[in-house]
Amino acid sequence: MTVVERMTVIERLKRVLRETLQLGDQVNAFDESTGLFGSIPEFDSMAVVNVVSGLEEQFDIEIDDDDITAEIFETVGALTHYIQGKLAD
Amino acid sequence: MEVFFLEGSQGRLFSIYHPAVRARRPRLGLVYAPPFAEEMNRARRMAALQARRLAELGVDVLLLDPFGTGDSAGDFGDARWETWSDDIARAVAWLSERTDGQVGLWGLRLGALLAADVAAADPDRIACLVLWQPVLSGDRHLTQFLRLRLAAAMDKEGPDRETTKELRERLSRGETLEIAGYRLAPALADSIASLQFQSHVHRLGRLPIIWLEVASEEGAALADASQGIVSALERQGHRLTAKAVSGEAFWAAQEITLAPYLLQATDDLFR
Repeated sequence: MTVVERMTVIERLKRVLRETLQLGDQVNAFDESTGLFGSIPEFDSMAVVNVVSGLEEQFDIEIDDDDITAEIFETVGALTHYIQGKLAD
Repeated sequence: MEVFFLEGSQGRLFSIYHPAVRARRPRLGLVYAPPFAEEMNRARRMAALQARRLAELGVDVLLLDPFGTGDSAGDFGDARWETWSDDIARAVAWLSERTDGQVGLWGLRLGALLAADVAAADPDRIACLVLWQPVLSGDRHLTQFLRLRLAAAMDKEGPDRETTKELRERLSRGETLEIAGYRLAPALADSIASLQFQSHVHRLGRLPIIWLEVASEEGAALADASQGIVSALERQGHRLTAKAVSGEAFWAAQEITLAPYLLQATDDLFR
């Protein structure tokens, strides 16, 4: 995946996060190192489920239950990496 | 505003009636069908606000907690889709008498699917459908609900990690599951899983329909799947207003969140 394509994935991911977490423009400042699950209090179970659905819709991918782990949701970068992996399938 | 209990088939239903504050010709009533489980609580404030605003615009609005939810009789584990459909139908009958006019249904998320389901059973009896962020696939909605349990156990490792597939298998073997504090009965899970908005498209007569969604961006389009259903309804001859407005997923927000543009858009359609 090219740098441009990676940028697009992260921007689209941020859009999903903006829709799911009530953080408004704060999300614009998110980068790959930004912590999610465990770092942001708004990231509760319902937020996880909504982010997962949002990602499935936004990227037209299917996320396995086994993939819903603390690791993948630890940072924006980890989640971006996961999505890229699914898109490459 | 009148707070009372409506007699449901399984038990009494906590109801709040917002009578129209000014005259409207012809008279119109709306019964609200709330979203599922925790979404109902998170959306309560928006529903109350919209009900008051509609009353000010001359609409009689009835908010109710279906059986087994909120302050109504019964446990969530005893709730069934058929009971909820019947609860809504009884609310329509009650409001028909009070409003001396036509009664429509207003539903949010799974409540929108419930509203469509009830309307499809007798479309001539329902004046209109006001659908907020309709759930299109009950099956997908069930998966998301089951995932709440997975998400709650997210930081645990090992072979005991559950999957929604396993949870569904347990449901199909007759086991009631506890999901995010709610006891989900197999019969209710089955009913929800079998619902698809698509299957109601040909069963809604020519009901006027309002279809509103929130999106994170100004001027966003409806979700693709929604657009498909909306187009199908238009081809059926429904008078339809469908749009997305800028707003947050207030039914999912951890803190009470409002979607002011949704309130405004709904108001505008009843002026």
